[in-house]
Amino acid sequence: VESWINVAIQVGPPLVLLLGGYFIGSAVEASHFRQLRARELRSRNLPVMTLREVPASWKVEEAMLVTGCCVISLDYFKRFVAGLRLIFGGRLGTYETLMDRARREAVLRLKESAFEAGYRAIIGLRLETSQIAKGNRQNGGTVGVEVLAFGTALRLAK
Amino acid sequence: VTFDPRLPRDDVNVSKTHPLAEAGWLLAAALAAGLLLALLAFAATEVVARWLPPRAEARLFGNLFDAMAVEGGQRAQDEKADRASALLARLAAHWPENPYTFRLVVAPDESLNAFALPGGTIAVTRGLLDAVQSENELAFVLGHEIGHFAGRDHLRAIGRGLVLSLLLRAIVGASATDVTIPTFASELASRGFARDQESRADAFALDLVYAEYGQVRGADAFFARLPDAHAGFGQRAASWLSTHPVTQSRIDALRARAKEKGYGDVAN
Repeated sequence: VESWINVAIQVGPPLVLLLGGYFIGSAVEASHFRQLRARELRSRNLPVMTLREVPASWKVEEAMLVTGCCVISLDYFKRFVAGLRLIFGGRLGTYETLMDRARREAVLRLKESAFEAGYRAIIGLRLETSQIAKGNRQNGGTVGVEVLAFGTALRLAK
Repeated sequence: VTFDPRLPRDDVNVSKTHPLAEAGWLLAAALAAGLLLALLAFAATEVVARWLPPRAEARLFGNLFDAMAVEGGQRAQDEKADRASALLARLAAHWPENPYTFRLVVAPDESLNAFALPGGTIAVTRGLLDAVQSENELAFVLGHEIGHFAGRDHLRAIGRGLVLSLLLRAIVGASATDVTIPTFASELASRGFARDQESRADAFALDLVYAEYGQVRGADAFFARLPDAHAGFGQRAASWLSTHPVTQSRIDALRARAKEKGYGDVAN
């Protein structure tokens, strides 16, 4: 009986974290995706391109570096699934949504800040990611990832 | 340049698999792999327990469990421990095929317990040493542990314990369960042995005690000191759940064997 209690003590908290991570994490994720789509619709008239140079026909009045940055972390459930993936390999589905959200959030922040400052086009968009923190755990798992979007915002003459 | 303000699809970078389905498949696969590994490990343990020569066993595990006694600062050097060591040597002498050189270590723990550890080390807790009231009683406990060596149960137990703790670590995560040797050893003692192994060790102990003293009075006294951890569950549930036979059934088995072999009365 005691050993079962021990097992419960060992397994219980992670299980609660797992369930909490899943339900809360999914709700947050679903709402973030809805919000992302709405903001993308709202800002769709501001073109963002990866062009290195300003097209010859454009008359640029002003240019400025704009950035959008987003730092994301895993929830317990995603980390758990990723831990299992370490054994078998394959697509890390739970991280895909996470990274997708981070990329889109970073680009949206870039667009929104550019639009607020009066710019109407962005060229030379680049994305960077960096690992900002390493866990103390033995497996050295990633705790957070930063996605940085940067580009050149342009104010064009009519 | 004309600009077409349409949004691209927003689901291209995301897998369609539901995260729960992904988790479910992975868990099932991990479980299957873990079970297979555990089965292999159990089988390997069985092979080792059967075929590992005691000499190799002593070399392998040599002084591993000395640390347990030394860490608590109670190396077996007092009078009680010395007497127990001497008793152990006398008992072992009644086992003609004994391939082991037994050593006694005292675990600095208040609980009542004794363990058979690989390499010929028998650990008894300080609590047990303090609680026993007759030499016969202690002799029975030591004989019981020698019986585990005779059945090579201790190797099976350590293998099972290792497999279990490794599985637990794999499931819960490495940092959550740091298995130190003392807790590991007590794990062995608490659920390491199967019921028939315990019964055989009891019978072995009874024979040794009789060989040493020509009588077996008080051999069952140890059982009276064991707190019955399973009392709340009722006898039947206990005998099902427990890896140790219920105290009373062990006492009954002892009495039956004493009667059958003509050892005389077990009770004090």
